[in-house]
Amino acid sequence: MEILSHDILIIGGGLAGLRAAIEAKRSGRDVAILSKVHPLRSHSVAAQGGINAALGNASTPAKDTWENHAFDTIKGSDYLADQDAVEAMCREAMERVIEMEHWGTLFSRTEDGKIAQRPFGGAGFPRACYAADRTGHNLLHTLYEQVVGLRIPVYEEWYALSLVIQEGRCVGALCLHFFEGRIVPFRAKAIILATGGYGRIYLRSTNAVINTGSGSFLAYQAGIALEDMEFIQFHPTSLYGTNILITEGARGEGGYLINARGERFMERYAPHLMELGPRDIVARGTQTEIDQGRGFEGGYVHLDLRHLGREKIMERLPGIRQITVDFAGVDPILESIPIQPAQHYSMGGIPTNADGETELPGLFAAGECACVSVHGANRLGGNSLLETLVFGERAGRKAAEQAGKEKKIPEEMIFRERLGAFQSRLDGIFGRKGEEPSFLIRDEMKAMMTSRVGIFREESGLLAARGKIQELKKRFLKTGLKQKGLAFNNELVQHWELEGMLHLAEAIVEGALARKESRGSHFRADYPKRDDEHWLRHTLAFKTEEGVRLDYKKVSITSYPPKERTY
Amino acid sequence: MKPNLLTLRIQRFNKEKDPSGWIEPFEVEVRKGMNLLEALLRIQDEQDRGLAFRYSCRGAVCGSCAMRVNGKDVLACRTHVEDLLEKPALIEPLPLFPVTRDLIVDMSAFFDRYRKMEPYLQAKPISPQVEYPMEEEKRKEIDPYINCILCGICFGTCPAFEKDSEFLGPAMLAKAYRFLVDPRDRRNEEILRAVNHQQGVWGCKTVFNCVKVCPKQVPPTYAIVKMRNRVLWYRIRHLISPSQPFGRFFS
Ligand SMILES: Cc1cc2nc3c(=O)[nH]c(=O)nc-3n(C[C@H](O)[C@H](O)[C@H](O)COP(=O)(O)OP(=O)(O)OC[C@H]3O[C@@H](n4cnc5c(N)ncnc54)[C@H](O)[C@@H]3O)c2cc1C
Ligand code: FES
Repeated sequence: MEILSHDILIIGGGLAGLRAAIEAKRSGRDVAILSKVHPLRSHSVAAQGGINAALGNASTPAKDTWENHAFDTIKGSDYLADQDAVEAMCREAMERVIEMEHWGTLFSRTEDGKIAQRPFGGAGFPRACYAADRTGHNLLHTLYEQVVGLRIPVYEEWYALSLVIQEGRCVGALCLHFFEGRIVPFRAKAIILATGGYGRIYLRSTNAVINTGSGSFLAYQAGIALEDMEFIQFHPTSLYGTNILITEGARGEGGYLINARGERFMERYAPHLMELGPRDIVARGTQTEIDQGRGFEGGYVHLDLRHLGREKIMERLPGIRQITVDFAGVDPILESIPIQPAQHYSMGGIPTNADGETELPGLFAAGECACVSVHGANRLGGNSLLETLVFGERAGRKAAEQAGKEKKIPEEMIFRERLGAFQSRLDGIFGRKGEEPSFLIRDEMKAMMTSRVGIFREESGLLAARGKIQELKKRFLKTGLKQKGLAFNNELVQHWELEGMLHLAEAIVEGALARKESRGSHFRADYPKRDDEHWLRHTLAFKTEEGVRLDYKKVSITSYPPKERTY
Repeated sequence: MKPNLLTLRIQRFNKEKDPSGWIEPFEVEVRKGMNLLEALLRIQDEQDRGLAFRYSCRGAVCGSCAMRVNGKDVLACRTHVEDLLEKPALIEPLPLFPVTRDLIVDMSAFFDRYRKMEPYLQAKPISPQVEYPMEEEKRKEIDPYINCILCGICFGTCPAFEKDSEFLGPAMLAKAYRFLVDPRDRRNEEILRAVNHQQGVWGCKTVFNCVKVCPKQVPPTYAIVKMRNRVLWYRIRHLISPSQPFGRFFS
């Protein structure tokens, strides 16, 4: 049996994975990255608007500080973020961003040649450093270039299928070489999951098609509870039709949201910050306009950039213009952009401390798949790119340190056993006749999640969602596969990913049902107020034979006591 | 009325099934605003679970889904099916690269060239606390070349490969130029040396095919012409002042 060994195996080639790899490599470890797509095809490449750091480069009367950044983040999180983690992130933000600039990221510039910063929702200062409206592309290419320079090996187009755990320690993973159809055990002293979000559980999502959350499911399956799964961010402005993101930067540059009556409707919802209110509030405002009949037919409103003028649009938002022209036939210089809210970000995920450690020794997580938690109930725009770099770096460093100490090498036996067990599970799936194809289940799940577990939630809808998930899980067990063999077997991979998505969806629904309050992105129409007395706590969802078991844990509060959140 | 049907004739390849490949027709019902990637995903769901192609972002930013459609190399997610309804559309993998399965090609030759260019900033020293100062004008000069998503489309239309299959290719020369003009990078002669040969800037036929087909409006030919000029300029400088250390590489 073939076994591949590395000190540290990083699963995921997005920003968090690459940043972790660089750090671990610089600490002298043998590191490898494994990713289901070439790293440059990772979802991170699509990020548009910017990355937050209190550089204080914009000309404002007072100078921005990391403490301001921390406060905005905590308030934006509706006080559910762990404040010690937020402070660490905001303190290290400047160093991480400057480092990216030194590695080659081509940030836009101020008049005096510094990194330019634009206003973003819920932020008291122009704090989002940007590279036009292709910040993710610029950052990801820069990190990949560094990975190439450091000669870190990448297993491209491999899937991590299962974690190998021995005596309470993660010692490796079983991974599938998609083209060759081989499942190979990887032995590692530390594994870092950097597998991104799970937006594709929803029908309407700004996420890449590949964002299925399989990494979070790996951890969940291994017995790790998932944290705060009910907190799903909906972005107010996705392009009507394809739901491709139109960055918050478009409003940061001065864009207006206009309903079918021609009103700047944000006046009703965030009279001071208007279009630059935090995402949850702008998304609810937008959806309310649509629901109450003040949208356009089909269910959308307008994002109007025309008053910014050709020059500003071409300079600051060229990627947005390309997207609207390519995908909606709309030139924002001349016409308004039709937009509607869509799922955008997964605040919840694998619980970690500020060094990326999970409760399972040997297993780390960083980036969107992790829940540190720095976003709490609502992430501020520009903070998740930052999270990938800060906690990618921290996880990489800590994993390297621990791998240096770990002397025990697990025996081949355990890998042989796990591989055998996995293989027989697969044989079971291949042996089923199959009553229906699994994509029907996938499509029903997505539509249900968007309609019942979306921006507005209430008990009856959530109960219906619970029932639907149970039905889908049962039907899933009766699906079969037509494609045989492991090589290029899309059907198998999608089947396996769907199983994970159903479980993640279940955790989202159960968390949302239990949480009888409204906080950040989680809005219960039947409990419209925040309830700190009962719900200022993180949800933990455990996977059991009977379904989800919920538990809760304390929020870490340092210097910002919860206050009412007005904008 | 009959629903709008799209017919795709897809070039298939599966070494085990039929090493010479075959063309298979599929029909998909067209929805308003549908793009080719969505059509392929529908086919994969409903008609042929084995159909292989790459995708990720579905927004023309990740560079996964490049393929040849009616003889033109495009990103599937950026191609509207409304434009393909007239006659059955022929869908093939990108040319030049060896086919792995169906529409998936092996891009290792592409990324080998990429690595050969040492495509990472080799920065001049600076304090870790501050960014390099850069004029916005300078950024704008580099920006068009940064936008490359490494999709491989420019390779297929480039006639330079007919003469020399080892040609570095438009994307890589654009990448070289991106570092050459970046004021933060300390390399200058190394980069020029790496492209100053027939498989580099001198292999280009300056027919601008790559500029025309690039889905991200990257203009590699301009980069190539500018690098040629720089090389010539160095040669002239060397003639005037042969003691210039750089000159000897071009004499
Ligand atoms: C359209 C859009 C725009 C955004 N813009 C901004 C912005 O302007 N500012 C901001 O701060 N944030 C933004 N975000 C959020 C931000 O882009 C993401 O949160 C962040 O990029 C996530 O990075 P990551 O490294 O955690 O994961 P990803 O980039 O999603 O990478 C995940 C990696 O894991 C791999 N993977 C997954 N599962 C497996 C498996 N089972 N086996 C092997 N490999 C696997 C994938 O191949 C991939 O390489 C945006 C998000 C969207 C949707
Ligand atoms: S899927 Fe990303 S470019 Fe088409």
